[in-house]
Amino acid sequence: MKKLNDDQLNELQKDLDAIRDEVLADLGERDANYIRKIIRLHRTLEIGGRVMMPFGFIPPVFVAATASLGIAKILENMEIGHNVMHGQYDWMNDPSLNSQTYEWDTACSSESWRRTHNYEHHTYTNIIGKDRDYGYAVLRLSDEERWKPRHSLQFINYVLLSTLFQWGVGLHELETEKLTRREIRLRDKIPFLKDFARKGGRQAFKDYVFFPLLTLPVAPIVLAGNLGANLIRNLWASTVIFCGHFTQDAETFSEEECEGESKGHWYLRQLTGSSNFTGGKWLHVLSGHLSYQVEHHVFPDLPAHRYPEISEKVQAVCKKHDIPYNTGTFAKQYGTVLSRIARYSLPDSLRTRLEGKRELQAI
Amino acid sequence: MLARISNTKAFHWLGRQLMNRDNPAAWLDPLATTINPMWVQEYTPARVERIIVETNDTKTFVLTPAKRWAGFQAGQHVNICTDVNGIRRTRTFSLSSSPLLWERQGEITLTIKRLPGGLVTNWMHDSLKQGDVIGLTEAFGDFQIPQPAKPALYIAGGSGITPILSQLETMAAENYRASVALLYFVRTQDDVIAREALTALAARWPALSLTIIATHEGKEPRYLKDSDLTPVTGLPVREVYLCGPKGLMDLANDLLSQRGVNEQQIHSTFFAPPAQAQLDGAQLGGDVTFTTSNLKVGSEGDANLLEIAEAAGLQPQHGCRMGICHQCSCRKTSGTVVNRLTGKVSGPGEETVQLCVSVPQGPVVLDV
Repeated sequence: MKKLNDDQLNELQKDLDAIRDEVLADLGERDANYIRKIIRLHRTLEIGGRVMMPFGFIPPVFVAATASLGIAKILENMEIGHNVMHGQYDWMNDPSLNSQTYEWDTACSSESWRRTHNYEHHTYTNIIGKDRDYGYAVLRLSDEERWKPRHSLQFINYVLLSTLFQWGVGLHELETEKLTRREIRLRDKIPFLKDFARKGGRQAFKDYVFFPLLTLPVAPIVLAGNLGANLIRNLWASTVIFCGHFTQDAETFSEEECEGESKGHWYLRQLTGSSNFTGGKWLHVLSGHLSYQVEHHVFPDLPAHRYPEISEKVQAVCKKHDIPYNTGTFAKQYGTVLSRIARYSLPDSLRTRLEGKRELQAI
Repeated sequence: MLARISNTKAFHWLGRQLMNRDNPAAWLDPLATTINPMWVQEYTPARVERIIVETNDTKTFVLTPAKRWAGFQAGQHVNICTDVNGIRRTRTFSLSSSPLLWERQGEITLTIKRLPGGLVTNWMHDSLKQGDVIGLTEAFGDFQIPQPAKPALYIAGGSGITPILSQLETMAAENYRASVALLYFVRTQDDVIAREALTALAARWPALSLTIIATHEGKEPRYLKDSDLTPVTGLPVREVYLCGPKGLMDLANDLLSQRGVNEQQIHSTFFAPPAQAQLDGAQLGGDVTFTTSNLKVGSEGDANLLEIAEAAGLQPQHGCRMGICHQCSCRKTSGTVVNRLTGKVSGPGEETVQLCVSVPQGPVVLDV
């Protein structure tokens, strides 16, 4: 990781705080209108999808209905739910957009998400051993974790995790890796499991029982479409999230170097541990502006649609402090994620030999 | 119809399953606001029918609430909510019309004075137009007409006349038998709110004696004095209603007790931020722990919990900021707070507190 001394870190903090203060002072109707516009689009797509679905025996309608519902879920999870729960719209004082009471359309309960994501992941970003989002305790993505034989098949795990992403996220707080290491007892997780059963059950009931039964003669079609919509959301959400921290140049950190860190050091870690991808306006909207993962990690509670506007200022700060700003096309960034998953599935000796060979070829 | 279904338990259960929210009817609100704002379910929408200029700083807003609104009793208040520059604001106002107008024509009125620097009152005067829709809560407040009829004395100051207008209209319509006196204090004769309505009332309802006193027309201010009470016959048996600025209410309380009016007979209501209790500054302040946000900050003096939370960068839900609407209520898990309005000291244990009027007295732990 790029090393800065205390004065430099203070300077970095001052520069980034200035960007933050400027946005905070400017929050108002424009931001309220933006999020309400997205919510209206979400409602329209969800209603459209649900209404069209029973007519899915006509193949093009099935595709349209599934896509409509899938995109609705993506918008709700990424641009609305995730961002609202970060408190990005708390200043609006609108009870339906309150970070502490919002409940989103996915198997993970908001409460569990706020603990594991808002608190753990955003505080201990990319600290191996503390940020459980780094590889989700399923994937080995850095040489700071020791290779074990089970890692050799981790690409299959990756595909499974992406396919069932909402359930993986929902069960994240179970901390199965700590259970198997007997660091914690299953008994302590009973309240969590109850919460998970309630929320996960509710989601399954809605998409896989209630709506199919509502239109009984075409229940299999509705069931298939709803499964498809959830699958679209799962694959897209996991892909976007993986591009945020597991790209080639996104850095990882050790617990020692972060002990008692200053706000400036936290900022530095967020800047170097996250990665963006470029694309058109709708790619950003559908990613919940997590395509600006760097800006999101530096300012998790500023309304996300502001990230494109402040990106240039953040880049200028990075340049001033000689900190790398990690970005690239979506295809390039995702490519490096897949390569990282594949490379770290190999034992270190084999991986370094292969990487060495590749570097030689490159020369 | 929808309101009746949406109040059933089964509907709420289904709403939680399908829309992940306790109030599923409000799921469509974002669409409703653009199609027809009167369909909104989260609050009771009310459309502005007319705006009447009362004086140079006071307007009366005639509103039509959605039919599901439950109505009110003369002298009660409502919270209104509206978005000003993207931020939801809640404020309390007295209803100035008689409930009869609501029952017969489905209309209510709010008579609102522009407060210097007031965010919402200025917005209402400058930006709220005929046809716009604002949100309404159910009515509340226990400032009520005496039942059965008893002689009454009203002492009003400035826009404190508003809940009294509602009561007088109602009493006149019900042909209230006992005698009613109104002492109405205004800065100048130009500041009289609803002058026509008041004179018309006095003309058709002989039980009412109306006295309007301008306080700032002579060289010296002319406030309520003992001789103003002399013409009020049978004062000791009257129910007395006070509504106006703190100075007037204090003066009235003193003069009334000198004349032997029992404290139980005197009823006051607010129309501006309520007077604050005298708090002993030396004992106030303390560390406040916000457990959900994992934050601990110190506080000094009479800063309330809402101000302390906001200064620490938190944005708890809130409304009126004067202890009325309970939007900011949350759980206190330990510590003692003083209620800024009443001066009452809380217990040390777990209870619900209103952030905006609670001042810490020593360390306090909150579920925020």
